[in-house]
Amino acid sequence: MYEKEKDLVSAFLNGGMSRRTLIRRLGALGLTAASAGTLHNMMATRALAADFDWKKHSGKSIKLLLNKHPYTDAMIANLDTFKQLTGMDVSYDVFPEDVYFDKVTAALSSGSSEYDAFMTGAYMTWTYGPAGWIVDHNEWLNDPEKTNPHYNWSDMLEGVRKSCAWNGVPGGKLGSDDAKQWCIPWGYEQNNLTYNKAMFDKAGVSVPTNLDELIEASAKVQAGNDGIYGIGVRGSRSWATIHPGFLSAYANFGEMDLTNDNGKLSAAMNTDGSKAFHAKWVKMIQDSGASDWSTHTWYQVGTDLGAGKSGMIFDADILGYFMNGGDNAMAGQLAYAPFAANPDAKGPTPNIWIWSLAMSKFSKDLDATWYFMQWASGPEHALFGAQKMDFVDPVRNTVWQDEMFQEKLNKSYPGYVDMYKTSAPGASIKFTPQPLFFDLTTEWAAMLQRMVAKEIPVDEGLDQLADSMNGQLTEAGLR
Amino acid sequence: MDHRSPLERVLRALALTAIVVFFMFPIFWIVLMSLQTNETILRSPPSMSFVPTLKNYAAIISGELDSNAGSMSIHFMNNLLNSVLLSVFSVALALLLGVPAAYAFARHKFRGSEDIAFTLLSFRFAPPLLVLLPLTLYFQALGLANTYLGLVWVYQLICLPLILWIVRGYFEDISPDIEHAYRIAGHGWFATFRKIALPLAGPGIAAAGLLAFIFAWNNFIFALVLASADKQPVTVGALAFVTASGIQYGQIAAAIVMSIAPTLLLALWAQRYLVEGLSLGAVKG
Repeated sequence: MYEKEKDLVSAFLNGGMSRRTLIRRLGALGLTAASAGTLHNMMATRALAADFDWKKHSGKSIKLLLNKHPYTDAMIANLDTFKQLTGMDVSYDVFPEDVYFDKVTAALSSGSSEYDAFMTGAYMTWTYGPAGWIVDHNEWLNDPEKTNPHYNWSDMLEGVRKSCAWNGVPGGKLGSDDAKQWCIPWGYEQNNLTYNKAMFDKAGVSVPTNLDELIEASAKVQAGNDGIYGIGVRGSRSWATIHPGFLSAYANFGEMDLTNDNGKLSAAMNTDGSKAFHAKWVKMIQDSGASDWSTHTWYQVGTDLGAGKSGMIFDADILGYFMNGGDNAMAGQLAYAPFAANPDAKGPTPNIWIWSLAMSKFSKDLDATWYFMQWASGPEHALFGAQKMDFVDPVRNTVWQDEMFQEKLNKSYPGYVDMYKTSAPGASIKFTPQPLFFDLTTEWAAMLQRMVAKEIPVDEGLDQLADSMNGQLTEAGLR
Repeated sequence: MDHRSPLERVLRALALTAIVVFFMFPIFWIVLMSLQTNETILRSPPSMSFVPTLKNYAAIISGELDSNAGSMSIHFMNNLLNSVLLSVFSVALALLLGVPAAYAFARHKFRGSEDIAFTLLSFRFAPPLLVLLPLTLYFQALGLANTYLGLVWVYQLICLPLILWIVRGYFEDISPDIEHAYRIAGHGWFATFRKIALPLAGPGIAAAGLLAFIFAWNNFIFALVLASADKQPVTVGALAFVTASGIQYGQIAAAIVMSIAPTLLLALWAQRYLVEGLSLGAVKG
């Protein structure tokens, strides 16, 4: 029974047949889409198990600490596949994002062995790694006994993969040859434009392609639509204000947060170029930003776009993705565009946030935990999440090349795939990795608030900021 | 007989109405939000006209929420149950330990009594984060991490000092002569405590218990650090509606209504004890 169907799916999994041909031929054999999906999953699991002893840790249990996120939902929806594949049991604690990192920090700093693996951002590993709370995953990645031959590590986007690797030296280049792989990328966010097409059309505004045009378009779309503001960007007193649109545009001009002179770090935001950029950014918020910009986090930026209170956002692409669905008033009316702030730049250079997985140093069984890690970050689950759930943006090239995934995006998220293709080559973390990252970046955001509130001129503010940062770097022995 | 003029009565009624509206408006607004969808809540400008829906309550009770990224499961009812369990048992234990201790501090002066009482009060001074990490290590060693017993124990940091100090003040306000008279009649100290002191201190104990319940109910950090997701109270659980894919305002409002209802009802029922108990306990004769 189903032998012909199984042969077809096997041929597809071995790369001998395209997805379209597979679907057409299965249809000819009278198989419904649902049955075909079940059969495909079954065969994919078998193919996965073919060349690797997935049952090696059968009967063991691991526990995960997870953030409430669509990536988590996708993993939980597919978790039975892992359990069947390995015979392992997986339990998990899911905490809301607002308190998630407090929970992680408490668990790791107390040396708790309760959790074997957890979700993290790459920035957080700059604290966790040097503290000895997480492992260098290279030890498992480079061991063919422990990593299945189909894992295909090089399939992960290079900029994303390297952004999760650091040698632990303050100012050290991310992804250098001596870098430790502190975490494994799971899903990520590029910072680009998501705009309200109807509002742009009404105001007669075209999609901006550089910073000057962005400032102009923000003002025009605001003037051309009643009761909205032009552009949504984050503004709260937090490091998270700096890392999305702001740093993506800043880096596009070749500007940096810190300079590294033979291991001595210095603040770099008081250069002439940086001052000119800040002046434009501040003016844009003053003229066309939200009136309560200084309170805006991820949530307000997204909610206002979804509710039709802003004309566009320069923030995470997946934030725009989420706001184009659900019961948002603007669902189905949003479009996406890559954005290079500098007209002379080769292309966009989005700074990125990477939701990753990391193994706790305090795990009682790291080898068994690695089985989960390689499955959860492997190509099969990535494809499942992208096709059937909201696992965007995937970190694997092969997933982006998948026809079904591209069709799904093209159907409901106009411009998303093109935006990705244009900006992915330049996507990476643009910050300098160093232990004072959160303190210094939060101070940067606080100074930005003062400049937008006209409490201090931009030039003077940046000089003060650089002095303060240099003082802290000196005190910490980094300068 | 009311000697106030009609104008004075009208002005008084208007002032009272204004005060009630001022203080009740946030709760009223939250109740309204809980009966709307996200789309109507986020309308610009906000409007009072909408078709009410119980969708938010149904979603919370069933545990299945619709978000911008599809359906997701939320265990808010479990959080609510955890809050009830943790608050009730913590206050009960604190009353059991704190009331006799308060009586001892009030009636039986002994060497070091003030130091001990102050030490217990000092539990309230320490920032929770300062003690939580060492506590985590001890709890893991003792097998108390991620248990209700461990949480009820650590909640004594909130409840016990509060009950002890409020009830102590109340015991001190009761004249010892009544107890002496009862003792002269041939009764032991425990009978005196049970039959005389406890009934007279009833309002104070009720007030202290209520306050401790509210503080325990509102606690956020202890369970977050010391327990798994299945033992979290509503204060942590309510944050689950704030997700990367958007904020579910209607469901947050419904969750708030459901989570403040027990303490609100308890406070309304016991408010006369609360005011009487606090004021009597605070003023020494």
